[in-house]
Amino acid sequence: MSILEGGILQVFGGINTSDLVTVVWIGFFALTFLYQTRIQSYMALSEISRGLNKLKVMKDKARKDAIDYLVDVGKAPGDPSQRVDQFLDYVAIMPVDMDPAGIVGKVDHIVTTNNDRVRAEVGALLKQNNPVTVSISENLLEVATSLNQIHKIVRHYYLLGKKTNSYFTLVQLQMLMPMIIQEADALLNAVDSFKLGQPVGDGIGPIVVSRFMAGKEKRVIAKDTVMAITEYKGRKLYVLKADGPMAYVGQPGVAIQKIVGEMGVKPSAIVMIDAALKLEGEKTGEIAEGVGAAIGGIGVEKFQIEEAATRAKVPLYAILVKQSILEAITVMRKEIAEAADKVTQVLNRVIEEKTKEGDDVVVAGIGNTLGVAQ
Amino acid sequence: MMSSVPGPDKKSKLLVYTIEECPVCGQKTKRAFAVGDYVTKEAAKCSKCGNPTRIGLVYAETMKQSG
Repeated sequence: MSILEGGILQVFGGINTSDLVTVVWIGFFALTFLYQTRIQSYMALSEISRGLNKLKVMKDKARKDAIDYLVDVGKAPGDPSQRVDQFLDYVAIMPVDMDPAGIVGKVDHIVTTNNDRVRAEVGALLKQNNPVTVSISENLLEVATSLNQIHKIVRHYYLLGKKTNSYFTLVQLQMLMPMIIQEADALLNAVDSFKLGQPVGDGIGPIVVSRFMAGKEKRVIAKDTVMAITEYKGRKLYVLKADGPMAYVGQPGVAIQKIVGEMGVKPSAIVMIDAALKLEGEKTGEIAEGVGAAIGGIGVEKFQIEEAATRAKVPLYAILVKQSILEAITVMRKEIAEAADKVTQVLNRVIEEKTKEGDDVVVAGIGNTLGVAQ
Repeated sequence: MMSSVPGPDKKSKLLVYTIEECPVCGQKTKRAFAVGDYVTKEAAKCSKCGNPTRIGLVYAETMKQSG
């Protein structure tokens, strides 16, 4: 007689609760042992599904906000929804990297073509050509595109894991979901700052540099990038930033190449000021100093600056202001804004320590210059 | 227009301010951010010396919500 039959008989013949509990436990352990990956897969699927729904709500909101901005502020004639949807699915195909020689030039070419296309597309959608409105529209559409892309990729792996019943695909995606949601949430929060034209945390470099440019003659040195020449304690400073208050990042790489190459300037130092992603536990607004090209992005600008500096044997110095990804792309926090004075002091010290009177120095404020003119 | 956006921890919200600085006497005035404000934009006359001020900073402060 099996334990189960015995248990049932005892239950019916005079209840024996202890045996019944034992049977239930054995059943539970057997089920868990045999189906643990299946159960965990179901749990992962349900968690990913909840995250996917959140991502869908986020990408729909970003799309709606972009369309509303194009209609309300940009005065887009007619309904731009269809054009916006086409824009969201537009792709930039990166060049082949089997033969990596010269790949930076190819990437630069693709990225420039894509940026020109975005601006032309936005220009065609709007009824006005106010550069601030056009640049904000570009940024809003880029945010909507990024969220659309994130949603599509997560949905792809979710459906693939579900279809193939792949436990490891689902568990990996489940583990990544909190970080993906956090990044998507940061992008969505950026929409509010962009719409209102408020400076973002990433604009700390341009803010510091704008103080050196105030009242000086400015000239366009590269696409969306301006430069002014000023003086500090006997040194000639070539200060540059993206053209504000538009939401531009400019082309600081091209600008520095022009200063060092075409203009024939022989700087004693290139100092770059940029926002840097903080590690968990680090304080927002903390300043770090270092050497090297302080610039993010796909790598083209960084390559151009490193090339120019190496060719001319100019030391590259970096001043970084720590912040999270959310703080970098949303309205500038007080802690970051208040770091501007300290960064100016550090910049002055670096110039005094690393160069001497009569030297030329290049100072570049790197970052999105929305809400920061010069 | 006063901008108030949700803060990072959902229980707080951000209030955005514009800081106007007088280049002559250094007087700083803090007011609510208005659409169209940007850093270096010429702003109201200085309340202390009457010279035109410039916007020096635009930043957000976290305001904790009760409950």
